Amino acid sequence: MGVLRMGYAHVRVTDLAEAKKHYTYTLGMKVTAEDGNKVYLKGWDEWDHHSVVIEEGGVGVVKFGFKVEKLEDLARFEKQGQAFGDCIVERMSKGDNLEVGDGVRFTTPGEHVIEVYHDMSSVGNEVGFHNPEAWPRHQEGVAVPAIDHALVVCQDPTLSESFFREVLDFYPTERVQPELESKECMATWLSAGQKIHDIAILGGPVQGKLHHFAFQLEDWSAVLKAADIFSMDDVSIDIGPTRHGITRGETIYFFDPSGNRNEVFAGGYRAYPDRPCVVWTPDQLGKGIFYHDRKLNEAFTSVWT
Amino acid sequence: MSVLTVLPDDERVRVKPGETILGALTASGYGCRVGCRRGGCGVCKVDLRSGTVHYAVNVSKEVLTEDEVAHGTVLACRAVPDSDVTIELRDERLKLTSSLLRSFRAVPATITDPATITKE
Repeated sequence: MGVLRMGYAHVRVTDLAEAKKHYTYTLGMKVTAEDGNKVYLKGWDEWDHHSVVIEEGGVGVVKFGFKVEKLEDLARFEKQGQAFGDCIVERMSKGDNLEVGDGVRFTTPGEHVIEVYHDMSSVGNEVGFHNPEAWPRHQEGVAVPAIDHALVVCQDPTLSESFFREVLDFYPTERVQPELESKECMATWLSAGQKIHDIAILGGPVQGKLHHFAFQLEDWSAVLKAADIFSMDDVSIDIGPTRHGITRGETIYFFDPSGNRNEVFAGGYRAYPDRPCVVWTPDQLGKGIFYHDRKLNEAFTSVWT
Repeated sequence: MSVLTVLPDDERVRVKPGETILGALTASGYGCRVGCRRGGCGVCKVDLRSGTVHYAVNVSKEVLTEDEVAHGTVLACRAVPDSDVTIELRDERLKLTSSLLRSFRAVPATITDPATITKE
């Protein structure tokens, strides 16, 4: 089937200790490895070695990893990348990333680095796979189960969308278009499977930027509890708790101590490739992004790392 | 306790030791343009017109370049005044967000301005 899910987000942080505290004490991730200026983390329901890498020095995204189902998917995506042309395609070797096997590294037309890989060391989730409990009894902070998706910013979202469609077999579930019939988009939400989005792309004046990366939560009440914890820990909240019109997801946007935007995300409807793509027009964009406020905040279209 | 003067409105705000420019403004009932509030996005850049500031946390050189620092650009969310400072907002006026908070932090009369003393 190709891409299974977003496997990892690798981001830069200005202070490793502060960032580590945010991702562990506030968000409840576990450290699985520390290597020089990098810390590797995972959520409690993830079984692969890590889903977030924080690296000291700067801010913003270094790269994203997407895990594929079959080894042969890698060669197919590599060919599709070469055929697409408007991207850089490189092989990556086992060991280029800690605990990650061979893969293919793409630099998208929007200057985002996307790595696809088939193998990452499995370390197990926190409830096990034999007659498991519903959740781990002793949890920290928000206790995010897993990473979910990311929103990235680049100058030509239509072209970057084509990359994800043609090279990695994603399909759009929702789009913001100048007109209902437009081929081009101002923003797009893409799925590789049945999640409402695995990656989203927003048009802006910059290339290669991170708008946010998100963690899955179970439901609305978990989102509200996360908001309580953010107040306890003085986390900078951008907006929420609220709902997105686009994806129908329940959300809080917030910032890590370096200013990288994070999201906790629950809900969202199930995606199918044959479901008609939802289209939003700019006059309704406020409602699309923040369903309750019905207006865009300035930060949505100007704050990124 | 030092004094932060904000141009172009010429509002004066008390700054507690260790407080950031944004922290002092917020606590005094004022608001200005901010983004992440964590030094990552650069949306809250303002111009330092007098005085000096320091940063209690690391700030990325990609966000605030050495050249910008040399020319007096500061991040309001992270910059901590060392003493009395004057900043100028960029294409923006200071917004009063809470008159209650402003009343709790009495704005000091300036002793360097004889006109103010005469009036009182």
